[in-house]
Amino acid sequence: MSNEITTRMGDGERVLFSAEEIREDIRVGTAQAAERAGIPALSAEEQEKLFDIIADPSRIVSVQPGEEVIVSDDGCSMSFYGGQDGGGVGAPLSRMQAVLTYERACGADTTSLGHSDYSFKPVKPIINFEANDYYNTSMVTTAPFFYGAQPNLGLYFQPDGPCPNAAELMPMGKIDAARQAQEEAAGHLTRDLVFVGSRLADVGLEGLNLDTSGSAGDADFLAALNAVARLKEKVPDLPILMGASGEFIIGMHGEVEYDGQRLAGLYPQDQVKVIETAGADIAGVAINTTTTESLPWNLSRSVTFMKAASEASNIPVHANVGMGVCGIPMMEQPPIDSVTRVSKALVQIGKADGL
Amino acid sequence: MGMEIAHIMASCMGGIRTSGDLVAWMQMTRRMRIHEAKAYVAEKLGVGIIDLTDEEIMRDIRKDLGIGTVTSIAGSPKGIRAKIKVAELLDINIRSVALFKSQMGF
Amino acid sequence: MNKEIFESAADAILRGDPEKAAEVARKGLGEGIDPLTLISDGFVPGINKVGDMFECGQLFLPELVKAANAMQRATDIVNAAIPEGEGQTRGRIIIGTVEGDVHDIGKTIVVSLMKANGFEVMDLGRDVSTDRFVEAAEQFNADIIGTSALLTTTMEGQRRLEYKLKETGLKKRFKTMVGGAPITQRWAKRIGADAFAENASEAVKQAKALLET
Repeated sequence: MSNEITTRMGDGERVLFSAEEIREDIRVGTAQAAERAGIPALSAEEQEKLFDIIADPSRIVSVQPGEEVIVSDDGCSMSFYGGQDGGGVGAPLSRMQAVLTYERACGADTTSLGHSDYSFKPVKPIINFEANDYYNTSMVTTAPFFYGAQPNLGLYFQPDGPCPNAAELMPMGKIDAARQAQEEAAGHLTRDLVFVGSRLADVGLEGLNLDTSGSAGDADFLAALNAVARLKEKVPDLPILMGASGEFIIGMHGEVEYDGQRLAGLYPQDQVKVIETAGADIAGVAINTTTTESLPWNLSRSVTFMKAASEASNIPVHANVGMGVCGIPMMEQPPIDSVTRVSKALVQIGKADGL
Repeated sequence: MGMEIAHIMASCMGGIRTSGDLVAWMQMTRRMRIHEAKAYVAEKLGVGIIDLTDEEIMRDIRKDLGIGTVTSIAGSPKGIRAKIKVAELLDINIRSVALFKSQMGF
Repeated sequence: MNKEIFESAADAILRGDPEKAAEVARKGLGEGIDPLTLISDGFVPGINKVGDMFECGQLFLPELVKAANAMQRATDIVNAAIPEGEGQTRGRIIIGTVEGDVHDIGKTIVVSLMKANGFEVMDLGRDVSTDRFVEAAEQFNADIIGTSALLTTTMEGQRRLEYKLKETGLKKRFKTMVGGAPITQRWAKRIGADAFAENASEAVKQAKALLET
């Protein structure tokens, strides 16, 4: 093996590393993840496996036959007809055509429909349109067909929503008011998630994806957990995938709890447990890629977090492997050499049940 | 877009090309971890785990069972008709199928 | 003795206790500790620790805001004891999310940590036009203009600001910093921004470094 190995930085830039440099970044990455989250670092053997995956001279790599996992869709069909915001290629396809193309031409394990804003709030006023599109499409799809979007608590703060803006109140030192605003917003969000989920359930929803929960902090995550629990009470047979949004839940509120567990600061191995407690069927893990560090460093961290989450969970755990997540470089067209290495490592070493 | 296809090529079971949809249903409806889900589906199909992602084996099985093939075969079930058979095969509740059946008076 | 005071100073910041911070500041000055040393060896390590804990999810935004307030109280007292002309120059920063972008959570964290580190910050909020950034920077007599963008489509607003500053001959007057989810060092370099920060702690470090140059 050449001493100069081609790899990438977190922003996608191609770089040449020596074998020693790659091993060092793997070692430092896993040690940092382990220390932060209080979880085991990758063993020497696992680090060497990761090195082999990263240093493989092939342009693309893959898991071995028999080790494949499920790829759960989080809006890929929108990428056919959408624009750059969603990594979309702008092909002139209808939503149904896009879903069926993804299922049949790409061989996707699951497909999904979502509003182009990819938030639940805007779905509320057009729920009949969404339910109609979902129902019609579900009659012709064969693979599991989700409806998915992000909870996105930010839309409930002024000027977009009814609640005082916590992001403005907090830096002014108005902590109690900011917390109250977040609690109030979380209540609105939960109601909307339950409303949308219930209405789609009425037309035969096969699965609901609450993607990137907690992106606006711990109150956002709480709202999603509460929605999962309420939907499971109302529609017990509705499969729900709830994905997180970062390696720890950001404490924008700092004190909200679910089932006696403070949410702020929870790392993936604890995130999956509360998701499971709420009643979700599949949990998602997301680790943000650091653009100034290398792929070996980022991937080593992500695999370490993923493995701990997988071991802690009783339900399937899928790794979020979108742009800038779990070691995928942060750029509009992530290079496939990196994408396939991330994919393989998260499955083979991180023990992901899906991606 | 290309990223999703790269993941599918690197790690994905292959959807209705093979048995990825079936294994996904087991994760969704029974909360099965990946190995348990694969074992369950393999047993229902009477094949080995390794066969689940083998197009050469799965194509005939899917065609024979009428659970949808990736290429379109005239007269062969796809969509809701295939899902009805999937629900029966795997002994699971697929919500769109349940709705469809209730609408058809099954 | 100084060591005890320095530890108390750091502790007051970590606890986000402005009364305690003020008391320690007065006590330190009363015992003849050099004001700049009191800040750099006592209070700054406290706020650095707060930043590190926030980045690891061990401390949350409300505590960060409380720590910032405590830091403000302490530095006000210490700075008043520094003879005119010898005081620490605090940086003045204008910050906002670029036009068309309504994401403000990351920016909020940066604002809090900047304030906690003694910077004077004017937060322009979100969806801020290029003209507004420039106008506010002039009015506020800013040292740095910091812009945040969360979308690949809105990050162009950061480039527009660079053009505007060059066009109007103001590029040399204001340093620029960029951040946000899709923003990278390469993007900063490409558009001519003076600094890029991956997270809030890094933003503070970069801002300090910019003001030293």
